[in-house]
Amino acid sequence: MPKWLWYSILTIVFWGAWGVVSKAAMEMMSPLLNQVLFTVGLVPLALVCTLSKNVSVGTNRLRGGAYAFVTGILGGVGNVTFFEALSHGGKASIVVPITGLYPLLTVLTALPLLREKLNRIQAAGIALAVVAILLFSSG
Amino acid sequence: MPAWMVYALLTLAFWGVTGMTQKLATNSISVELSLIWFSAAFLPIAGVILLAQPLDWRISATAWFLAILGGVLNGLGVLTSFAAFRNGGKASIVTPLIALFPVVTVALAVPLLHEQITRREALGIVLAVMAAFALSYEESSKADGSS
Repeated sequence: MPKWLWYSILTIVFWGAWGVVSKAAMEMMSPLLNQVLFTVGLVPLALVCTLSKNVSVGTNRLRGGAYAFVTGILGGVGNVTFFEALSHGGKASIVVPITGLYPLLTVLTALPLLREKLNRIQAAGIALAVVAILLFSSG
Repeated sequence: MPAWMVYALLTLAFWGVTGMTQKLATNSISVELSLIWFSAAFLPIAGVILLAQPLDWRISATAWFLAILGGVLNGLGVLTSFAAFRNGGKASIVTPLIALFPVVTVALAVPLLHEQITRREALGIVLAVMAAFALSYEESSKADGSS
């Protein structure tokens, strides 16, 4: 199994577990407080990473760091706008599927901008993934 | 356009772009450094939230634990997602693939939250597994030079 696939599966497991924990936590507090405490969980992980010697590895560390930082900003602000959508009258049955389609946007931008190519089976996989995501988000 | 729709579309746009920025980050730097910068971004966001409005902090110890655990689990997933990109994964493949994580959430919710899997979710699980196989389908080895 290629390494990227193995790491992707690990990601699915970790995020899947996060999904359950998050469901339970959400019942107990406001989403914004959840976002703040979420950050508290992230910090020790980042601190452990500072111990790694891979921190000094890289070609253009400023640019790479900027992209990683922007990823965090977009992810975190996206979490906030997601909750704002729900608290400004948006129904979950509509908001969740709409926002759940974000990978499609990634694909549509990565293909031209990152010059990635997909074979037909992979393209079919994306279509299947989109349907699967819609099925989960309307449940 | 109603405000909630604007927020929903903004969310779609923000999250959609992260797939690309993750890939671009790991083209230059390590997984560990990526996570450090990623985490650093959450600090100002948390700061703005704390300053913008009062929050109800009257939550139980269990709630504290779960929220922080959530951060750790999500962070671990972010770390491994950076690793997927760093190790040759394409944004157009990895992002849709890891977005299938609700499969695991739904499955774990059965024993842990005593939920039941609906027919829709069951179909979703089947399609997600098929999607995962299809997304990881590589024609005869060769790198196509695009990662």
